[in-house]
Amino acid sequence: MNSIVFLILRRLRVPLVTLIATYAIAILGFTLVSGVDAAGKPWRMSLFEAFYVVSYTATTIGFGEIPYAFSTAQRLWMTFSIYLTVIAWFYAIGKIIGLFQDPGLRQAITLAHFTRTVRRLQEPFYVVCGYGETGSLLVDALDRKGLRVVVIDIAQDRINELELQDTQSPVPGLTADARLPDILIRAGLRHAHCRGMVALTNDDTANLAVAIAVKLLRPELPVLCRAEHQDIADNMASFGTDHIINPYELFGEHLAMEVHALGAYLLHEWLTGVPGSRLPTPATPPQGTWLVCGYGRFGKAVVKNLRREHLQTVIIEADPALTGCTDCIVGSGTQAATLIEAGISDAVGIVAGTDNDVNNLSIVMTALALKPDLFVVIRKNKRYNMPLFEQFNADITMQPSDIIAHECLAHLVTPLLARFLTLARNQDNAWANQAISRVAGVVGEMTPETWRVEIDAEGAPAVAEWLAEGRTCTLDALMRSASDRTRSEAIVPLLLVRGDSELLLPDADLVLAAGDRVLFCGTPEARAEQRLLLFNRKALRYVIEGIDEADSLVWRWLFAREARR
Amino acid sequence: MNLEKVVFGFFIVLAMTLNFGFFVGDIANPAYHHPYELFAAIVVNLVATVLKFGDRTQIGAIHLSTSLVADLQLIAAGIVWVAMGDVGAGTASASVTVSIVSLSGGALLANITSVILLIGETFMLRR
Repeated sequence: MNSIVFLILRRLRVPLVTLIATYAIAILGFTLVSGVDAAGKPWRMSLFEAFYVVSYTATTIGFGEIPYAFSTAQRLWMTFSIYLTVIAWFYAIGKIIGLFQDPGLRQAITLAHFTRTVRRLQEPFYVVCGYGETGSLLVDALDRKGLRVVVIDIAQDRINELELQDTQSPVPGLTADARLPDILIRAGLRHAHCRGMVALTNDDTANLAVAIAVKLLRPELPVLCRAEHQDIADNMASFGTDHIINPYELFGEHLAMEVHALGAYLLHEWLTGVPGSRLPTPATPPQGTWLVCGYGRFGKAVVKNLRREHLQTVIIEADPALTGCTDCIVGSGTQAATLIEAGISDAVGIVAGTDNDVNNLSIVMTALALKPDLFVVIRKNKRYNMPLFEQFNADITMQPSDIIAHECLAHLVTPLLARFLTLARNQDNAWANQAISRVAGVVGEMTPETWRVEIDAEGAPAVAEWLAEGRTCTLDALMRSASDRTRSEAIVPLLLVRGDSELLLPDADLVLAAGDRVLFCGTPEARAEQRLLLFNRKALRYVIEGIDEADSLVWRWLFAREARR
Repeated sequence: MNLEKVVFGFFIVLAMTLNFGFFVGDIANPAYHHPYELFAAIVVNLVATVLKFGDRTQIGAIHLSTSLVADLQLIAAGIVWVAMGDVGAGTASASVTVSIVSLSGGALLANITSVILLIGETFMLRR
C-alpha cells in the first residue's frame, strides 16, 4: 500500500507544480492590478482576497466580482486567470483520473488489497492454486466445511467467476502466476495460519514449481499436487511433496476397488463427499470381458487395474501408434462395426474413456443399442456437459475433477481420515459393509462430517485436565449429549491412534489416554455438542458422573459437606 | 550535471532564502516584513514539497517531512495575518507581527534542515 501512495505522489508531481504555479501567478496579478472601491477611491486586493477570488474562479464556482465590481484592468487579468487556472485544474484532474485507470496502478492496488486481506486472516486457511473445474469444486467444499480459502489463478475470467460465487465466507482471489514465489508468499505461504497449499493447475510444471517453492520456503507445510505425467509426479515425490494426485491413476484404483471391494469404495466415496450430499448407491461392476475405448492415460490406468483384478480387457483405440498400444482394435468405438469386431456380444462392460465427451456418449449409446445390459463406465471431461451425463445415467460416471477434489479434501481437512481410508482399503468387504451400516445407522444417509480430536491441553482441555487428575474417561462419554447424559449423540468413532498403534472402529467403552488422537464422524450438530464436552469441564463431569457441579464456591462447599455427611 | 537535480536544489535553497528574507528584521515591526515575501515563501515551499514527493528512501522521507513542517508553519503565519491583521496594507499590531514572524522563524529552521540534508546527500554521492 505504501508503495502505491508513493507511486501516485510521484506521478502527480507535474500537475501539482503546474497548479501551484498558475495559482501563484493569478494571485500575484490580482494584488498588482488596481481597481476602485465603492466610494470610487483606488483600491487593490490584498493577497488573501486575491487567493479567495482565484480559488472560486479556478474551480469554476464563480461567485462574481467580490468585494467591489472590477475595473477593466482587473477584468482583463480575470479573463487571463480563468483560462490559466481552469486549464491547469482540468489538466491536474485529468491526470489523477488517468492515473487511477492506469492498468499498472490498478494491478498494484489489487495486489496490495489481496496481500492485506490475506495478512489479516485470523483463522486457518488453505491456498488453492488453480481455480479450474477441480479448484472450484474443492474451494466450494472447503468453504462449506467452514474453512477459509485463498485462491490464485492465472486467468482473470476465472477469478471473476470466483467473485460471483456465493460463498459462506469471503474467498480472496488473485489473478497471478502461481509459479512466482513472491505470489505464493503474498497468498499466505509464510502466514502463521496457513494450513496447506494445493496446486491444481492444468499445467504439471506449474504445480511442480509450487511444490518446490513450498518445500523450500516452508518445509513443514503440507502441499498437495496434481500431476498427470509420471515423470513430473516422480520429480515431485523426490523432494517430499506430501501427496501427489494423478486423477487417471486414482480413478483406475477406484474402479478396481469397486470391482473387488465395493464396501471399501463406498466408505471412501461417502466419507470424502461434500457435506450434505447423499450416500451414493452402489453399482457392482460385473466379472467378465470388458471393452475399453481410448487407451490414453485414463484408459491405461483402467486397463492396468482391471487386469490386476483378473478381468479380460479388449482395447479399442483410434491411434495405436501414438498411445503405444500393441494389441488393440483400431477405431474410435463410435461405430457399431468396430464394437462388433471387438466382440461386444461377449462383453459384460464397456469403458468410454476418450477425452471427448461427445465421442464418449456416442460410444456408449452405440454399444447399448447393440447390447442393452452392458455395464457402462463413462468418462466425463467437462462439467458443462453435466446435463447430458445426468440424462444418460451411466452405471459409473467418472470425472477427473470430482476425484481430485475428493482426494484433496480427505488429505487436507482431516489427514487422519486419509489414514483411515488407507487402512480400510486393506480390510475385507464384510468389514467395510459392517462399518457402513454402523455409520449409516447412527448418522443417516447424508454425508457425515469427519473430524479429529486430540486429547491434549489444546484440542480437549477439559478431557486432558480430567485425565491429569487421575480419573478415567471412556470414548463413550464423548459421544453423549451434554444436556441429557442418557442420550447418545449421532457420532461414530472411526479410528483411534495411540502412539504407533492404530485401532479401527474402537469400542465405546475404550478408556482414553492423554495424547490419543481420535477420528470421529457424525452430524454437524453432534460435532457442536461434542465441542462442549471437550472444552467445558462441568459438562464433562455431568456426562461421566451424572453430577451437575455447582457454579459458585458457596454451593460447591455446601454440596461437598452434604456428600461427606 | 542533471537538470532535475538543479531544479530540485534551486527550489529548496530558494525556499530557505525567501523564508529568511521574510524572517529577518525587527520581530515586532511590520515594516520589516512584507506580505509578498511571505506569499513567495509559501508558493516556493509548496513547489519544493511537491518536488520531494515519491522518493522512497529514508533521506527522501525526512526531506518531505521537513518541507511539510515548513508549509504548515508558513501557512499558519499567513492565516494569522489574514485573521488578525490587514494583509492588504501590510500592517498588523506588534503582538500579531511577533507571532507571524516567529512562526516563519520555525519554518526557517525546517528549511535550513532541508538544505543541510541536501548538502549531506550531495557529499555522500561525491564520495
